[in-house]
Amino acid sequence: AVYAQADSKQEQKSFISQASVFNDSDIRTTNTVSETLKQVVTVNYHNHTLRYALQDVAQKAGFKLSYIDQKVPMEKRISLSLENVTVNKVLWKILEGTGLRFAVSPNNHLVFMERMMPKKEVKLESVSGTVTDASSGETLPGVNILVKGTSTGTSTDASGEYELNAPSLQDTLVFSFIGYQTQEVPIQGRSQIDVSMQLQTVSGDELVVTGYGVQKKSDVTGSIGMVSAEELQEQPSFNALKSLRGKVAGVNIFTNSGSPTGSNRVVIRGSGSINAGTQPLYVVDGVVMQDGIEYMNPNNIESMEVLKDASATAIYGSRGANGVILVTTKRGDTASGDVSVTYDGSFSVGQMASKMDAMNAEEFMEVQRIGYENAPLFDDYAPGEEPQLDITPDMGTLFDDAGNPLYDTDWQEEVSRTALSHDHQIGVQSGGEKSSFGGFLNYTNNEGVILNSWMRRASAKIVYDASPKEWLSLGTNLRVNRTWENNIEEGGGGQEVRRTMVEFAPILPVRMPSGDYSHFNDVKSLTLEGQPNPVQRALEEDRLRDRLQLFGNAYLALQITPNLEFRTQFGVDNTNYELRNYQPTDLESPATSVGSAYVENSETTYWQNENYLTYLQDTGSHRINAVLGASWQQRMYRDNAVGVRNFPNDFYRTNSIDAATEVDGFPASGSWDWTMNSFFARGSYTFDDTYSVTLTSRMDGSSRFGKNNKYGFFPSVGVGWTASNEGFISNIDAIDHLKVRGSVGRTGNTEIGVYQSLSTIGSGTVLLGGGRQNSSAPQRLANPDLEWEKTTQYNIGMELDLFNQVVSFEADYYYKKTDDLLLDRPIPSTTGFDVVLDNVGSVSNQGVDFIMTTRNVQTPDFFWSSTLNFNYNKNRVESLGKEDEDIFPGPNWVSGSQTILRVGEPIGTFYGFKRMGTWNTDEAAEAADAGRIPGEAKRSSDRQIIGYGMPEWTGSFINKFNFKNFDFTADIQFVYGSEIMQEFLHTAEDRQALTNGIATQLYEAWTEDNQNTPIQRIRHQPLSGQNTQADTHWIVDGSYIRGNLFSIGYNFNQQALTNWGLQRLRITASLENAFVIHHPDFKGHDPEGTSWGGNPNSQNIFFYQYPKPRTFTLGVNLRF
Amino acid sequence: CQDFLTESPKDQISTDQLLGSPDAASGLVNGLYRDGQGAGFYNSGGFGGADVMMGGYMSGFFDNEGKGERIQGQVAQDLQVDPEILNQFFDGWWSGHYDVIARANTAIKYIPDMNGFSEDERQRLLAEARFFRALNYFSLVKFFGDVPLITEPIEGLTNIEVARTGSDAVYSQIINDLNWAINEGNLGAQPFPMNNYRITQGAARTLLADVHLQMAGYPLQASEHYADAADAARSVIQAGQHALVEHGETVEESAYNKLRTSDVDPEFVYGIEYNPEIASNDNPRITIPGVIRPPGINYGRTLNAYRPIQEYIWAYDPDVDLRVQNKQLFHNSIEREGQTFEFGEWAPYLWFEEEAIFETGLGGRDIRVYRYAEVLLIAAEAIARSEGVTQEAITYLADVRDRAYWQTDRSAIVAELNGLSEQEFVEEVWKERLRELALNFKVWSDIQRTRQYPVTDEDNKGEIIFEDVIGHSNNWGQTYEEYHLLYPIPDDEIQTNPALEQNPGYN
Repeated sequence: AVYAQADSKQEQKSFISQASVFNDSDIRTTNTVSETLKQVVTVNYHNHTLRYALQDVAQKAGFKLSYIDQKVPMEKRISLSLENVTVNKVLWKILEGTGLRFAVSPNNHLVFMERMMPKKEVKLESVSGTVTDASSGETLPGVNILVKGTSTGTSTDASGEYELNAPSLQDTLVFSFIGYQTQEVPIQGRSQIDVSMQLQTVSGDELVVTGYGVQKKSDVTGSIGMVSAEELQEQPSFNALKSLRGKVAGVNIFTNSGSPTGSNRVVIRGSGSINAGTQPLYVVDGVVMQDGIEYMNPNNIESMEVLKDASATAIYGSRGANGVILVTTKRGDTASGDVSVTYDGSFSVGQMASKMDAMNAEEFMEVQRIGYENAPLFDDYAPGEEPQLDITPDMGTLFDDAGNPLYDTDWQEEVSRTALSHDHQIGVQSGGEKSSFGGFLNYTNNEGVILNSWMRRASAKIVYDASPKEWLSLGTNLRVNRTWENNIEEGGGGQEVRRTMVEFAPILPVRMPSGDYSHFNDVKSLTLEGQPNPVQRALEEDRLRDRLQLFGNAYLALQITPNLEFRTQFGVDNTNYELRNYQPTDLESPATSVGSAYVENSETTYWQNENYLTYLQDTGSHRINAVLGASWQQRMYRDNAVGVRNFPNDFYRTNSIDAATEVDGFPASGSWDWTMNSFFARGSYTFDDTYSVTLTSRMDGSSRFGKNNKYGFFPSVGVGWTASNEGFISNIDAIDHLKVRGSVGRTGNTEIGVYQSLSTIGSGTVLLGGGRQNSSAPQRLANPDLEWEKTTQYNIGMELDLFNQVVSFEADYYYKKTDDLLLDRPIPSTTGFDVVLDNVGSVSNQGVDFIMTTRNVQTPDFFWSSTLNFNYNKNRVESLGKEDEDIFPGPNWVSGSQTILRVGEPIGTFYGFKRMGTWNTDEAAEAADAGRIPGEAKRSSDRQIIGYGMPEWTGSFINKFNFKNFDFTADIQFVYGSEIMQEFLHTAEDRQALTNGIATQLYEAWTEDNQNTPIQRIRHQPLSGQNTQADTHWIVDGSYIRGNLFSIGYNFNQQALTNWGLQRLRITASLENAFVIHHPDFKGHDPEGTSWGGNPNSQNIFFYQYPKPRTFTLGVNLRF
Repeated sequence: CQDFLTESPKDQISTDQLLGSPDAASGLVNGLYRDGQGAGFYNSGGFGGADVMMGGYMSGFFDNEGKGERIQGQVAQDLQVDPEILNQFFDGWWSGHYDVIARANTAIKYIPDMNGFSEDERQRLLAEARFFRALNYFSLVKFFGDVPLITEPIEGLTNIEVARTGSDAVYSQIINDLNWAINEGNLGAQPFPMNNYRITQGAARTLLADVHLQMAGYPLQASEHYADAADAARSVIQAGQHALVEHGETVEESAYNKLRTSDVDPEFVYGIEYNPEIASNDNPRITIPGVIRPPGINYGRTLNAYRPIQEYIWAYDPDVDLRVQNKQLFHNSIEREGQTFEFGEWAPYLWFEEEAIFETGLGGRDIRVYRYAEVLLIAAEAIARSEGVTQEAITYLADVRDRAYWQTDRSAIVAELNGLSEQEFVEEVWKERLRELALNFKVWSDIQRTRQYPVTDEDNKGEIIFEDVIGHSNNWGQTYEEYHLLYPIPDDEIQTNPALEQNPGYN
């Protein structure tokens, strides 16, 4: 049998997933000489045809003949005389010179296949033809034509005609044109080949990676979003998740930082969990990658699939509730025996996209002055004893004789830079009939816009796949990823650079005339908060994080019968992490800093073993795809940490921590592991290409649950109906494709800490009697019934292509309800514990995923398509603990927990006081009753719900244009229906004079002439204290529109490339984060962020941010 | 495959293993020293002041510069204490105390049957566990009134909603625990620091005396407990292990400065131990107003978190009382590099540590919860109430006052006390408690049990009269009602335990 020519993408995907089964014929290769072939025969042919000879042998040996005439030159005449030789030998003799080999199937069919031939002498054959649009019949100029596996190629001319010289008429031509499906056409001896090209995306024919296999998209009943390599390549990126942003409806990627390694928070179809983690499950080439997806080399990624509904995710059972992201990376080339080499590189320039309106030196001093003036209003100063601002101690150093500041430092400017980054990847891919190889090397240097923040990555990946026998294939894939990083703290509410770049006194220079960094207490005449100089902190502090990740797997697949394959694979993820912090000896000031170092090492080792059977059957009207398997997993962790302080100087840093004189905190170590054991099954059946059903289930056991509830069962069912195959719809011209899907199922969430069901005793030390003595305390109440969170999800979806695919859209409605939330249920503290981890409460998410693509203009010269995608999601806490009592899950900061969990409200609900403006002079008496004076904030007496952090609408609007060899992308993203808690207003606006702040505290502050303002009267914090609470004044509309990406690409003409010996050359220029339109009252750097990344309730709550860059990138993709 | 999924912790031990490990059991007791009513309650890390300072703010005599940011100080002065606004704050108290009680209960349940201890050690650990259970229940019953009384460890999720138990029953349990500790506990006799900072006979007896004194007053008014208080205090005095620290040659070496700079003396009955390297004391940070920045100050930010307002300072007669002179209990200026920085207000000096403030940023002095001076004052009051104004009672009060009136003859002090009626004498003791124990956080407990509000006079400094607290206004113009004398039970606790009822006045 000669295999049907598969589209290369299909072939590659099915190869990767290894779920493919050779179901078109049952074959055994000649490599294992079967008993029948060992029979001894005698033959005698004289100028007989090949057909005669083969029939003769077949009859003698008891074979049935199977062949395709085109391949076997049946009429060829041969003469042959052999006595008492094996059938095997006879057949080889007969086929001599035909380029064919043979095989015998289990049911004794003799089949013929093309044989790998040694290199022939190069004799070029000329091929020519015309390329047209399949639907309109118009000729297409500029279509690239490439001889597969070579750099030989050309392009069609203005009249759509081409001519090229191929090495052989057995080669295959690849026709590609933007907006159209790439076609591979075997020459098969022809010299004239006319091709008509189909528009891209004929729904249903693509193959989709579904976890433990692939399926035809038309057979899929679940909701799965896909991002292809081409889409990923449009935007050269340092981070795989960033490229996924806005590409799949229902997948919200919150990029909460502009730092090179800033965390991305990924939420698929809303937060379904409060305590157990909301990140999706990442599966990279079949292996779970729990950490490190953001450090992965994105150039390696072939495609990403996002599994959203239960029909799709149930195969991952207890870990599927937050959705699953399947990442498929590049492998060897299956195209030909040739070697192809690719280079992908980019160079980018980033700058801070926006600045906060920090006060300058003059404004800063004005606030100080007014603060002194106002001091008697707040405190009980006897007349004549009012405090006076006396700047004489700083005259000559910070002020001139007239009292004007000598320096006016813009710290945002000083601490930021133009970041220059570059990224390189070299790939080598080769392959042939029996094996393929891929090797990839990557180096990335990614600079942040804050001084001294950077990430470097060197990674290597090797892939080898082999099919030594028709019944056996095996392979391995090993990735080494090393990253180095200097990180800027982005969490919490401390004196970090992201804060001090706004708040450090502008009257100080970066360095004093002595050359030393300025310190806050170089200001003698003012009382300033003890803050480190931001430039010094950025440059002199180490926050180094090194990671070494070994990640890979090996598999072995056995073809048991033509329809049944067994596959076993072993995956491993081993990460060594080292954190080294060093704070120099005079960071805050020479007096208060002693130099401190903290070093932490940890190692995480994960392994998984998965074994499964795949059964495929396709009889034309019946298609069956079934999977049955079992899996074991274990994750082991250990760490060591130690801190020291009091260094004699800044030489040793973390290189010799024994140079310090004091231990800072006790050395510590920890260790844990968890295990899982699972059984899973999936069966899908499609009848007549029209009716599909998928049943999926997984039974998971986890060590992390109570001894009474180790195992959980997660089933789902999905149905699909391709209505456009029904007569009554296929008659409607406008409808090209219509499919309706529905699914229901249950998935789980297990992402909690270890030992949570056990009562254990934790140990440490306490001070007692002058030294450390051991101390121990029970950690929690035992809960042997602890079990999974369970998410039940319903999904109804529709796919529709209209008007010859001018419009295609896909819409899904979902409702998912998570029950048995793993919640720290508050219990009476009289038990000795505040909470117990228990299965209580539920949360629901419902919404719509929508994606629509229109092909607005489609001419041979110009192509324009628009894609609108959005997700609307409504999150609601349905129930909480026993009494549905409110839970205050933090982040805990000014005024206590900034969020509340309350039944009926969504996760991420802000909680605080209401600010009704400021007390005006008419209300002086009323204000006094409340202990206030006019000009102070007027607030509600109780805290209440004051905003919502998670957006209701997120989406993107992407326009693509192709003009000749150019392509343009304009990617606009939007968020609507969220709010921001601007925590930085606490110190930047509500509290004055202790630090610098934003200009509104001066220009819009309450004065007797400006009473209608929410901004309080200037009050000198060190003299008069402060009045600041988390309140509605901090809340602002979080909706925004972002110019996420504008890019232009140029694909070189195949004709030119051929001259240069290249297969592909593309250059791109792109502008990322070009603009952000947000509410005018938003005062921060970027309307998306959190300072409390570890807390799932904290989206859009931040105390300053690492500013996001606006990045200009030049990229190149090269293949030869 | 069941074994594959069995969880066996590696960096924590299971509760079952506790029984086989004397170390873990003694660790269970060691931890009690730091938690609940322990170090956490007394340590002042930031803007809010230490938890124990809440009473000072409630009394209206102390102010916190950081109150705009951590509201407990503000709402206490405003008498707007509320179970919701201060939910987190009081929940910290409540759950911290019950955490220690639960751990003490675990120790008391399991230690008697454990091997690996000497008999003495076993009894001592049990006595310490009972001391801390008593200490934490005393704090709860004093501040919240009736509270759930739990004396067995809770080990499952059943029967966890316990209703409030009458105060008298809680007090009985406290007294039982302390008597057990005193009689069976094999506790050391020396003062606390000489006993390696472990609970002593003196500490247990002093706590017992304090408990009886509180019971004798409001709200129980069980006046028969004055005699018990007298007995307990007298037993400490008669043991002869403790004494008042005496003045040195100069005012810089006064007894008060010695208490400030040293930790090891016979006046130390019970307290919170600190050490710069292991557990540092943050109180030096709160001894200088934030606006004062003498050169070389080693805290990024200081604040006067427990500022005695003028009305408090007027309780002292500056002509005779050493305690109110600059740099004794309080200070109002600091000298640095030849320059004087005037505060314009008073700040605690007792917690001022030169080295911490200007060199290390890490305080190391202990905080004294009970001093021998308080034992003498409890004895004086309790004896006067139960036995009359005896010479013994007069002696004890005179001991404390004589040290403060450093240039006044003891005979003159005694003479003034002679012939006072019981009520007059007891009020003199109250005055002395106000002055002597200013930084020992007694002012609110005294107001709670006496229901008398001290009123000072700018024109007659040192004069204090006592007026009914209910209906009286504090120094911030807010009027006390009876319900203010107990704190609200935190909202969280009410929500999670339907068996609890809120204190009156807070609904």
